[in-house]
Amino acid sequence: MTETQAALETPTVADFARTFRRIQSEIHKAIIGHEQAVEQLLSALFAGGHVLIEGVPGTGKTTLVKSLGLALNLSFNRIQFTVDLMPADITGTRVIATGEDGRREFTFQPGPVFCHILLGDEINRATPKTQSALLEAMAELQVTVSGTTYPLKPPYFVMATLNPIEMEGTYPLPEAQLDRFLFKVRLDYPEEDNLVRIISSTTGAEEAKVSPVFHGDEAPHRVEALKKLVREVIAAPAMEQYAARIVRATQPDHSRFVNDSARSLHDEMVNRYVMFGSSPRGAQALILGAKVRALLDGRANIAREDIESVAVAALAHRIMLNYAAHTDGIDAAQIVERVIKSVRTVRA
Amino acid sequence: MRLVSLIKVSLIDMPVSVQVPRAQEKLDIILDQVTSLRSRLNWLAFQHAFYLVTAIGIAATAAIFAAAALLSPLQFLVVAVVVAVLAICSLWISIRSGWRRRSNAVRAAALADERAGLKGRLTTIVETFSNRRRGMLWSYLVEDALERREDFAPSRIERHRIARSWWAPVVAMIFAAAMVPLARFHRSLKMAANAGAPDITVDLDDLHLRPAEPGDDDGLDIQADAATMARLREKLAREGVAPDNSGTGKLGGLVDRARNFAGNMQSRLRGDSKQKQRLTLRLADNGAGLDPTNPRGADPWRRDSRRGDQAGQFKREDGSNDNEPDLPPIDESRHEPQAQPSAGENGEGGQDLKQRADASAAADDPSKQAQDDDQLRGEQSSNGGSMHGIGADPDSLFGEASKTRMSTEGFEIAIEARAVDHGAKGAGQAYLPPKVHTPLNARQQPDEPIARTEVPSDDRTTIQRVFER
Repeated sequence: MTETQAALETPTVADFARTFRRIQSEIHKAIIGHEQAVEQLLSALFAGGHVLIEGVPGTGKTTLVKSLGLALNLSFNRIQFTVDLMPADITGTRVIATGEDGRREFTFQPGPVFCHILLGDEINRATPKTQSALLEAMAELQVTVSGTTYPLKPPYFVMATLNPIEMEGTYPLPEAQLDRFLFKVRLDYPEEDNLVRIISSTTGAEEAKVSPVFHGDEAPHRVEALKKLVREVIAAPAMEQYAARIVRATQPDHSRFVNDSARSLHDEMVNRYVMFGSSPRGAQALILGAKVRALLDGRANIAREDIESVAVAALAHRIMLNYAAHTDGIDAAQIVERVIKSVRTVRA
Repeated sequence: MRLVSLIKVSLIDMPVSVQVPRAQEKLDIILDQVTSLRSRLNWLAFQHAFYLVTAIGIAATAAIFAAAALLSPLQFLVVAVVVAVLAICSLWISIRSGWRRRSNAVRAAALADERAGLKGRLTTIVETFSNRRRGMLWSYLVEDALERREDFAPSRIERHRIARSWWAPVVAMIFAAAMVPLARFHRSLKMAANAGAPDITVDLDDLHLRPAEPGDDDGLDIQADAATMARLREKLAREGVAPDNSGTGKLGGLVDRARNFAGNMQSRLRGDSKQKQRLTLRLADNGAGLDPTNPRGADPWRRDSRRGDQAGQFKREDGSNDNEPDLPPIDESRHEPQAQPSAGENGEGGQDLKQRADASAAADDPSKQAQDDDQLRGEQSSNGGSMHGIGADPDSLFGEASKTRMSTEGFEIAIEARAVDHGAKGAGQAYLPPKVHTPLNARQQPDEPIARTEVPSDDRTTIQRVFER
């Protein structure tokens, strides 16, 4: 291992923050506004998770993902999910091909899932069967086709977009698949100032050009090294307990899957509006997201503020609300904010 | 050669061996500072509990002391129990509060993180330094925290060396300082009131006995000769007014015992045995002298005391009741136990005893005594005066007409009353009836005694029958 390779594999806390900010600034050449969304997107990338982006059409979802691929200099694929999309269209399939020796044999033709950054556009338009084709790839970084398992090359990062307004002909993502996304990032309509900037930058002769932060083949290694550094951030037991307490507080007392309801925080809002709370993956997401936040702040340890700052992105899509919440206009983000407030009060 | 090579090896190893203690030294500096902060916080927690406990102790003692001085036994008992219960609860809360305030290293580190804005650096170090696998960012964390060591110096995290609850014992002491003089002042006022009052002399037969309020010690000292005291005991036994019998049932007995206990406690707290000024109640035994079957009737002291006793009134020793008005003579035979109602029963003891006092005075002068005896006999055989309506023999209803002119000027009942503390019954003060002036009916006759007249012989049988019924 050369010194350059060693340096690549052991970046410092300062390296992480610097690299992160550079990627951020490159993306913002193409994406105007959405600072928080971009930061969450990158956080999920370096935490080793995947992101579900929810936003109305035209808010720059696809542009955002494209910009990220360009900035990281990683392979990038896009799948437009439709009703007639089949799993093999995503994972790949075995086709008959003629070899150099003239023999015809089945060979595996990799699907678009074989890349570093995958954009699943409007994922909720595909059938659950097709949607679930992504599950194995997202969770285990591998694809099994006809009994043969094909590993994916790290880093592997899936970004799926959801269109929340067109509900006709869509298939809501099953909870199991939702749970596999580390964060759910919301892209709102841009503010007026940002909208003016978007108009001027996208309607002129010059197009915004995103420069890659990593060069050549080093990009995957650099990203992986930074992801490894994130895992090295120290989480004190008290912080892990805090994350666990938040996740437990999202689970209603009446849930038949809650065994020790006496120990959990009894929040009236949660009991009233939540059908199912967050899974343990939510706690993992909290800690991993907090670790990235800590590194960005120049720390080697996580603090409560870090956990709280990623709580909505990490937990909101894992909480299933009941009909009362829909009728009362309560969304999952409000529940998470309420839970954090309650847990903070109990701690004080 | 081997020695040289060993030295070389040790020199080569030196940087490593120096580096390890350095990293450990840095960690030790941080941990020492956290320990120091923890000690300060624990000291403050101890002070907090100590101050509160002291304050509660002082305040409760002062309150009980004041209650002992100001309240009646039962009130004192209730207040003392309430204060004691509150004090115990408050002590428990205070000690628990102090115990909860104590800090371990993690709590001290968390507090430092919060107050110095260290974002969990210290907490993480303290919680994870004992882990074997510290990770590659551990040294960075220690270094990072050490750079901020000034921020989490104990004097910056917790500036106070004395707990903020120091005011609690001060307030309690002020309260106590206010309560003690107040109690003493109240006590001295009471003693002064008692001191101004001269000794009281009363006839044993005129003594209306009732069960004493348990624990009610008003500082009355009873003095009498041995025989009178013996009679007093007899009377107490006869009338069943011993304090032990006064309770009604089990509950009453318990209440009495509680009162006794409270009274004793009050006496101890007030230091009555040393300082209390007592009133003297002198007992005279006049009844025994008038009883022909009682050999003690010839006792000259009793006769003297009977003479001195002014008709059942409490007689002051200073002789302030010397100018008594002339009253009709009474039959001495009324003093016999069978016929004599007690002063408390008929409510006319005052007048009755006045007459008896005059009779006793006449007994000293043989001529006057004979005259008075005639009068007494006449009274007994005729009207009976104050004996009307008390179930006397109807045969003695009628007598000679009164020779003395009756009028309001010649008839006076002097009642001397003084407010006394009757313990729980009186709630500290005797009941004083309000003064009500009711205008007389225009047709109502003046409230004068009716002059004794001759009863017509025809009517005597009728009157006798009425009385017999």
